[in-house]
Amino acid sequence: MWDQLILNPMIHLLLLFYRFLGQQTIIAITALTLVVRLATLPLTLKQQKSAQRMQELQPELQKIQKKYAKDKEKLAQEQMKLYQEAGINPLGGCLPLLLQLPLMYGLWQSIIRVLAVSPLELLKLSQNIGQLFYIRFDIAGLISLVPLQSTFLWLDLGQPDRYFILPVLVVVTSWLAQKILSPPTVAADDRSAAMNRQMQIMMPLMFGFISISYASGLSIYFVISNLITILQYFLFQRGHTGKKE
Amino acid sequence: MSKKKPWYGPVPAIVGLLLVVSTLSGCGGGVHATTWTGLVVHEGVVYAADLEQVRALDAESGAVLWLFPAEPDMREYGPFYTVTLLEETLFVTSYERTGSGFFAQSKGVLRALNSQTGQQLWKATVGGGEFVAAGALTDSTFVIGNSDGMVYTFRKEDGAPVWERPFAAAGRVWATPLVISDTVYIASLDHSLYALDLATGQERWRFEAVGAMASQPLLLDQRLYIGAFDGHLYALRQQDGHLEWSFEGESWFWGSPTTDGALIYATDVGGNVYAVDIESGQQVWRSTLDQPFHLGPALNPDGQILLVAGDSGTLYGLDASDGFVIWSQPGKGQLASLVVDGNVAYVSRINAEQRIQAFYVDNGRPLWVYPQPQASE
Repeated sequence: MWDQLILNPMIHLLLLFYRFLGQQTIIAITALTLVVRLATLPLTLKQQKSAQRMQELQPELQKIQKKYAKDKEKLAQEQMKLYQEAGINPLGGCLPLLLQLPLMYGLWQSIIRVLAVSPLELLKLSQNIGQLFYIRFDIAGLISLVPLQSTFLWLDLGQPDRYFILPVLVVVTSWLAQKILSPPTVAADDRSAAMNRQMQIMMPLMFGFISISYASGLSIYFVISNLITILQYFLFQRGHTGKKE
Repeated sequence: MSKKKPWYGPVPAIVGLLLVVSTLSGCGGGVHATTWTGLVVHEGVVYAADLEQVRALDAESGAVLWLFPAEPDMREYGPFYTVTLLEETLFVTSYERTGSGFFAQSKGVLRALNSQTGQQLWKATVGGGEFVAAGALTDSTFVIGNSDGMVYTFRKEDGAPVWERPFAAAGRVWATPLVISDTVYIASLDHSLYALDLATGQERWRFEAVGAMASQPLLLDQRLYIGAFDGHLYALRQQDGHLEWSFEGESWFWGSPTTDGALIYATDVGGNVYAVDIESGQQVWRSTLDQPFHLGPALNPDGQILLVAGDSGTLYGLDASDGFVIWSQPGKGQLASLVVDGNVAYVSRINAEQRIQAFYVDNGRPLWVYPQPQASE
């Protein structure tokens, strides 16, 4: 079910990009990432709007927190009241994120599957190609394209970057994306603030570790995806500021 | 007033990171195979590259004759994937970590072992990639392809290179070479079948298919037969690689075809078994089974039964005249190699407890299994 509805279409889309964009794997990965991010743009915008509104409420929230620092129950009530008055669902940013996850996971999986470096991985890929929505056919001779040309500059896209350039880029761009997407928190010593800080460090490190261990094609995806996130954020900010003025 | 730090501090982050690291690096135990294991049978002995160890087993009983290394030691050796035998020398390949710590890299390793004792004669560390398929031997030279796209040659006695430099294909080399007289025929994932000079490694000719090729060609009457990932089985003139006919199947041809002299038998990863007329390239029969086949088929000595080993673990015995399934023997784990010796078929498996098995070809009845299953309480 997952393969037929998510993974196989993504794999075929990736192969189509490869077939028609000069048979360059890195370009195909970039194109597929752009398409998926474009498809999920409405959800991302919704998520960013929600984050933005939460950010605007921060001064109010800080006041409330100071005022009811010793009465947690009252604090929760007041916070909820503030959210209701502002018409905000504090979990409103989570739903779009959850809806995007299967697509992102499918994208990630399709890149790893297509870059198959080992025979066992390639055999798996053979079961994905030529089948779309339970129908067997070969579009544009995609079957014979495999395995893809996987060298680009110093990289073998099917192997980790042995010079660690991509993992460093992944860590830096992930950190930047995390940093700009995380709304400022109410108080510096608050638990959620601490958790946020940890996530800002842990997530980029985790992606860095994955980059060291997995195909560098996946690192390319991480970097492009992070850059798109950063770009989207600044475009959104500009639009948002423009509207205010 | 000093700010009170949250009680949990960096602990969740560190624990989370460690969990992710351990999950991704496969700390769960066991060997994570990336390719298939191989075996050869010679004069009553089964030699198997079985991930942690190379095993020499008695072909009649499955009893252990010797093991290399004596105890599994994945820090020093293996995983072992391929074996090739010539007289008293057994060539085994593995993919091993070289260097230490964070900057350690994996490299292809070739070892020559004494086939009687399992004692190591020499070792050569070469190639940036895995040796996926077994090599081929002449009297004095061992030829093998690597995932780094190179074809290497070694002197049988000491492992010294024979060619001035390895032959570089444009893609990974996952096929066993075929060495006939003074020519090496070897396929690559770059879609080419190369004919190389055995003495120098110079290219003599190449045949380019539409898709990648990962199998050893079959030679019969000065024709080479090889399948490709483009779903075609090609018949080529041995002398110059000229295409004589091609047969279109349904899916990738991964394994090597076999023949009884009149028909070519081949399997594809779509679960099809084909019998094709050797002269015309026309299909004689086709049988569709319910699992992919990356291994080529094998015939019993009298050519009556065709054995095919499925990637979902079932070994089939088909009537070679019409493709009818005579018997099937399901099993756990993916079938990784298949060798028929006399009236017995030997298989190796990955992702299974019982990794080497012997079956009677006539009826599929198991002869022995290694290791023996633990007796239940």
